[in-house]
Amino acid sequence: MLTAIVIDDEQFAREELTELLQETQEIEVVAQASNAIEGLKLIYALKPDVVFLDIQMPQVSGVELLGMLDPDTMPYVIFITAFDQYAIQAFEDNAFDYLLKPVDPKRLNKSIQRLLKTNRSQETQHTQAQIDSFASKQLQQVPCVGHQRIMIIPLQDIEMAFSDLSGVHVQTAQQTASSQLTLKTLEEKTDLLRCHRQYLINTKAIKEIRLLDNGLAEVTTNSGNIAPVSRRYLKSLKAVLGFV
Amino acid sequence: MYLILSLLQQMSVYLVLAYMLSKTPIFLPLLNISSQVSHKFSCYVLFSLFCVMGTYFGLSINDAIANTRAIGAVMGGLLGGPIVGFAVGLTGGIHRYSLGGFTDVACAISTTAEGLIGGLLHLYLVKKDKSALLFNPMVVLAVTFVAEVSQMLIIVSVAKPFGHAYTLVSEIAAPMIIANCIGAALFISILHDKKTIYERYSATFSRRALTIAERSVGIWNTGFDATNSEKVARIIYEETNVGAVAITDNEKILAFIGIGDDHHKPNTPISSGSTIQAMEQNRIIYLGGRETPYHCSISNTCKLGSALIIPLRAGKKVVGSIKLYEPKRKLLSNINRSMGEGIAQLLSSQILYGDFQQQQALLTQAEIKLLHAQVNPHFLFNALNTISAVIRRDPDKARELIQHLSHFFRSNLKQNIDTVALKDELAHVNAYLTIEKARFTDRLDVEINIDDGLLEKLLPSFTLQPLVENAIKHGVANRLEGGKVRIYSEQHSLGYKVVVEDNAGNFSPPAADYEGLGMEIVTKRLINYFGDIAELQIDCRKGEFTRMSFLIPNNK
Repeated sequence: MLTAIVIDDEQFAREELTELLQETQEIEVVAQASNAIEGLKLIYALKPDVVFLDIQMPQVSGVELLGMLDPDTMPYVIFITAFDQYAIQAFEDNAFDYLLKPVDPKRLNKSIQRLLKTNRSQETQHTQAQIDSFASKQLQQVPCVGHQRIMIIPLQDIEMAFSDLSGVHVQTAQQTASSQLTLKTLEEKTDLLRCHRQYLINTKAIKEIRLLDNGLAEVTTNSGNIAPVSRRYLKSLKAVLGFV
Repeated sequence: MYLILSLLQQMSVYLVLAYMLSKTPIFLPLLNISSQVSHKFSCYVLFSLFCVMGTYFGLSINDAIANTRAIGAVMGGLLGGPIVGFAVGLTGGIHRYSLGGFTDVACAISTTAEGLIGGLLHLYLVKKDKSALLFNPMVVLAVTFVAEVSQMLIIVSVAKPFGHAYTLVSEIAAPMIIANCIGAALFISILHDKKTIYERYSATFSRRALTIAERSVGIWNTGFDATNSEKVARIIYEETNVGAVAITDNEKILAFIGIGDDHHKPNTPISSGSTIQAMEQNRIIYLGGRETPYHCSISNTCKLGSALIIPLRAGKKVVGSIKLYEPKRKLLSNINRSMGEGIAQLLSSQILYGDFQQQQALLTQAEIKLLHAQVNPHFLFNALNTISAVIRRDPDKARELIQHLSHFFRSNLKQNIDTVALKDELAHVNAYLTIEKARFTDRLDVEINIDDGLLEKLLPSFTLQPLVENAIKHGVANRLEGGKVRIYSEQHSLGYKVVVEDNAGNFSPPAADYEGLGMEIVTKRLINYFGDIAELQIDCRKGEFTRMSFLIPNNK
């Protein structure tokens, strides 16, 4: 049995699909999410084999969510949509599977058969090129989860991002928030610049760079947050800022 | 007695001149009390001439002149006002002075005084808004009498020696007073008649033109075709009393009414070369008279003898012609000719307006169709998906949802009509919202609070529902939870405001795409029906609310 997560903002649609999936007896739905941000969290936590992803969702759409996933641990994604000619065209162009609402059980079965076949042959399920040509290469916002709340932080508000034992965090002038995205994804999909193994920095938020002994440095942001700069990244940081 | 008769004789010559002059355009400015300087000036020149003439026509008596000068001075003042009267009197007076005699000074003064008396009466009557009295012969008779009596008094008191003056006055007073008074009265009566004729003429003309305009208004709004053209032709025929009226488009006769309708048939091609010429060259052609006789191009026995062909334009393009005919025994009168041109102009602008309206109506139809298409797919498939999910757990609820869905589509299809009662539109919205509520479950809360008095009011169809749909699509659907749509009315000094509000505050001015078009059509339809006052108002506070509202004015 394959594990699956269903992400759809409509409760009935979610439940209906879950039941249809249980009926196939090939798929076990391990979780449901009512928005992309919760969905992202669940995908990282549960690492399902397949994600059924609605496109039209509040704040972060299904397609945007796809762009936020780490390509290395990317689950197989099947999109669901009620009516969206443009998206359907894009799915077909990029060999993504999709289901139309209301979901036809026969059609669903076909998708699952195809999925099982792919899974057995151990092919790479979605190639990077496939994803890039479809989902936006650049994130405009970063979904974050706080205590009992979900935040969407615009990229320009982020001064830096860092990882520690508890996960990945983004730092704005006002707050620190935890993100489900990996530093690698953030580095690839945003303008945040790597300055340390565990730190990314927004070059527009740099107030000063203090050079320390033995080739290390420290960045102070506009609101006074401090990020370390390792020897390895100092040169590239200086190059980006125009110091050769 | 002899003096009276000869003075009356002089006066007659004087009046004949006046009558002849009244036939010329020089007289026109005199017919209206006008304050234009050029009119005042022509008034001054004309009556100064009469003044001088009156002196020359006078009879020499005892080194003085018995005359009809007073008529010019008094009339000048009466028709031109105090300044013109004074100037005319002074001119006449100076002229008289130059001729000498023992009453020269007295006459100069008295003539000036007479002009001034006429002028003062003019001033008085105009101030009292009774300028019509200026053309009343009795009033003129009276004022001339007063003026002449003053003249006599002035002569007696100014001319020296007193004895001479007294004898003179006792001799000329009665004849001059009689001759001048009657002369002035007759003079004004000539003017008055002329004025009456002229006014009646213009009144008839304007009344007929206005009647045609009034009766034909809007007929062509629904198209420049045979049915409408026949109505217009009949109106022109009835109002102008010409022999026949025809209306053509670029190829064929659309309507023909009057003499000759036995062989001039509507819906037949234009056979007259002159008509085609008139339309091609965009100019008016008159056929009739010796040089360009009218010959019916269809029948030799046609009774029509003259025709006026006027091109009809829509904008700059000639779209047809109007033809006025008279039978052989009559000629097309000048009135009807100039009226024909006016009518063609009037009708041309109507055709243009009709075109415009038709296009407008077509546009609106197209827009409604577009809205139809725009509303459906997303909503329909989502609704079907919701229902398909609900069927499993609650078949009754599913059945109910299907009822709402069919209600929604039924009223959507029915709503091709222009207007809809608010309560019907609310039912439509309610069907829509019931389905959306099932779809969004606890993420959508709806509150409807519309004043009962508004429920019967009419509003353009497709105005409220798109606003609600907008509030869902761009508002509630973008909230992770706790979405709310409120539809309520608010009293306003000019009527009631109907507000659709969501709590997402997600509005951004739409791009020029489908969505933007939707709101644009809504506001256009509201303005079309209620006027500018009902323009869609959009008020948004980011993250708090988006409020779309419009006004239903009290008078609708």
